[in-house]
Amino acid sequence: MPGNITSVPAVWLWSVCLLFCIRLTSVGAAPICTNAQAGCHVLSLANLFDRVIQHSARMHGISNDLHNEFEQFFLPSKNQIGRISRNCHTSSILTPNGKENAQRMAREELTEVILKLLVAWRDPLWHFHQSMSHHHDFNNFSSSKALEISDMVHELRKGVEKVAEKMQNLGMIGNFVNNLASPETFLTSDSAEWRLMRNYDLLYCFRRDSNKVQNYLKILKCRIVPEHGC
Amino acid sequence: MTEIVKCALLLALFSVPCTRGTRYSPPDKPKLTSCRSPEKETFTCWWQPGHDGGLPTTYALYYLKDNSDTIYECPDYHTAGENSCFFNKNDTSVWVNYNITVVATNALGSNFSDPEDVDVAYIVQPHTPENVTVNVMEDKGWPFLRVSWESPHKADIRSGWITLIYELRVKLEGEEEWEEHHAGQQKMFNIFSIRSGSTYLVQVRCKPDHGFWSEWSSTTYVKVPEYFFRERSLWILVMIFSSFTLIILLWIVHMNSHSLKHCLLPPVPGPKIKGFDQQIFKNGRSDEILSALMVPNFPPTKSSNYEDLLVEYLEVYVSEEQELILEESKDSCLKSDSSTCDSDSGRGSCDSHTLLTDKCGEAKRERRASGEDSGMTIESQKGWEEEALSYTQEDVATPDVSSRRVKTWPSVFSTVPQYTTSPLDQKTSLELSKQHCLSDTLFPPGSSTKEVLGPNYWEFDLSNKQSHLPQPQTHGSQQLQAHSDVNISYTGNKQVPALLQLPGFKSTEYVEVQKVNQEDMVILQPVESDNCGRDEECPHVLQGEDYSKVKGVGSDNLLLLQSGVKARMGDEMEANGVSESCYTSSSFATTQKHIDSMHSATIPGQEEPIRATTGYVDTTTMFTLPMY
Repeated sequence: MPGNITSVPAVWLWSVCLLFCIRLTSVGAAPICTNAQAGCHVLSLANLFDRVIQHSARMHGISNDLHNEFEQFFLPSKNQIGRISRNCHTSSILTPNGKENAQRMAREELTEVILKLLVAWRDPLWHFHQSMSHHHDFNNFSSSKALEISDMVHELRKGVEKVAEKMQNLGMIGNFVNNLASPETFLTSDSAEWRLMRNYDLLYCFRRDSNKVQNYLKILKCRIVPEHGC
Repeated sequence: MTEIVKCALLLALFSVPCTRGTRYSPPDKPKLTSCRSPEKETFTCWWQPGHDGGLPTTYALYYLKDNSDTIYECPDYHTAGENSCFFNKNDTSVWVNYNITVVATNALGSNFSDPEDVDVAYIVQPHTPENVTVNVMEDKGWPFLRVSWESPHKADIRSGWITLIYELRVKLEGEEEWEEHHAGQQKMFNIFSIRSGSTYLVQVRCKPDHGFWSEWSSTTYVKVPEYFFRERSLWILVMIFSSFTLIILLWIVHMNSHSLKHCLLPPVPGPKIKGFDQQIFKNGRSDEILSALMVPNFPPTKSSNYEDLLVEYLEVYVSEEQELILEESKDSCLKSDSSTCDSDSGRGSCDSHTLLTDKCGEAKRERRASGEDSGMTIESQKGWEEEALSYTQEDVATPDVSSRRVKTWPSVFSTVPQYTTSPLDQKTSLELSKQHCLSDTLFPPGSSTKEVLGPNYWEFDLSNKQSHLPQPQTHGSQQLQAHSDVNISYTGNKQVPALLQLPGFKSTEYVEVQKVNQEDMVILQPVESDNCGRDEECPHVLQGEDYSKVKGVGSDNLLLLQSGVKARMGDEMEANGVSESCYTSSSFATTQKHIDSMHSATIPGQEEPIRATTGYVDTTTMFTLPMY
């Protein structure tokens, strides 16, 4: 008899839990609604842009810190010829070097450039982090930063892709080169150049490219949604 | 030839002053100081020239762009001023590494500066913000400053090419420290908590997200006008409420003014005299006043209230020392005495006697030293008389005939010196100067008490004190003077010699005066005392006829008491009593005489005849007489 009494509330408890679990799983994360579906939480493009821009700004900040750290410990001799002939592996990607050039570029191209840059840096940063962790010369702070920026590049790329998708959905941009399939297509044959670069040069190049990304995103935002903070 | 020679000479002439004492050299290495871009579209580089080596030197700037080997020269040396190179939009590439070198060249050579890497994206320093305006706004009655500005016109914020963040600082006019505020990307800022009536200074500056701070903008002054509390409605309410409260309080105070006055300022009780009507004073009639002042029953002249006013004891002082002391410091003594006495001051228990002797004794010492015998005695006697009178007057009434007793404290005065110094000091010079004017039989043995060296008290029973008292005054206090035939001298705690141990007398102090007979003799009777039990030498109390008869008043106004008990003292005492007079005398002769007379008494058991001589204790001179 006591078993029956205790079993009833237990069954009741389990059923309630199951219901909750099902409900939780069904909810999931709020998806970015397309076509402005009813009852869907729509993130505006401006908000998306703001998030992405903030993300890129943070990424650039970390890369700047890492670069300065490296500059202190590994100050390259100015007499080295190699310094002058520093060549980033992303130099093959044509990026606008001025305001007019950037403004003259189409939105799609600009978005594509951003994505290219972000894609190009995924592997090098991963390897950079690996080399940092193996070399115990650096403190943990630098190692963690290296890991962080590699993650951030990845996240930023996803964010920009979402922005592009939204823009595309909103009809702001035309057909977009579908780069979601294979990021490696952006990498040219000399993609292995980055393996030859020293860590310091790698950071130098990445600092520059993260600055480009941030700036391009701002330009894009002020061109597409100028009413918010431009 | 001559022309060539002339030219050479001219050249030499020209060159000589130039070359004389100076050395030409190639120019020093110039230094590229900074490169700045105000809007990330153009940039300018400045260099610092070194020593030019004495020759005109030219400077050139060359740069290399991002890994290319093409050497470019500065396109514009003039726009930005001296020793500068301005790169316009066409020549400026952002995110491109410029490798810049400055070359200084003169006739003797050239010098290259160290190359510098410049990336335009990281050398942005914008201009100062423009149109900084400050307005005083009001927020619910409280003023605040609203600062607004614009971005520098060259910086392209609108396209998103540059993102600027702003910062402003404020300070009061005349102060030293600025108060900085970070404004972010907004172009407007509110400053609260400002002071009315003061002037503020405001400055703004900006910075790109990765770059350098601009210069502070020009100061903007703003004067905050005086602001009063604007909440009128609240003020009106407060005023009304407070006025109401004030009115109510005033009304309450007015209603209770009388009681308040009584509470705060209590009436001072005026002087009241019993039986006296103050109205008489107000009327202002003198006769009435005087009559009112006269107390009907004062001074008491009838004996109807004697019972109330009489005191039991009349203090009679026999010792001459006492008289002297009294006379000298009569006022002080009497006053002190009266002050220390209790309300029933007539009683012998009043300790004022001892104190009186204390205070009087100091004054008396001097007199004693002078050594006046009779005069002193007279004086002392007089003083004593007066004192006695005062005492009696204090008593306010004549003592009753029958049962009143007067105590005499002859020995007290004699022990004055000891009292003054210390009661325990028995070795004073005045040990022996204790005089007791006692009757023969009435000398109680010297008590061993410290305080009183056997003060002998007589208790006089005066029938008509009042009548008698003036008489002593007139007759020189003859009746009241107790003259002791027995001279007693005490030395501190030492026991009174057996001579003095009169039978029937206790070692205590009191001798009762039974009565004063018609012959003006004070009949004394020793009083039982507790001290007697302790004292070995306490004489047996003589029952019955223990009294000392007042023989008479001596020539020097001494009360001569005659001891009625002849058990011990015998005739010698009597004889002595007659001849001797109680006086304090430092004269050797008298003392000697007394001593001799005393000695002739041959008091049995006397071991220290010196002490048991006259009825008065002499000074140390007497004491030191070792003639016995």
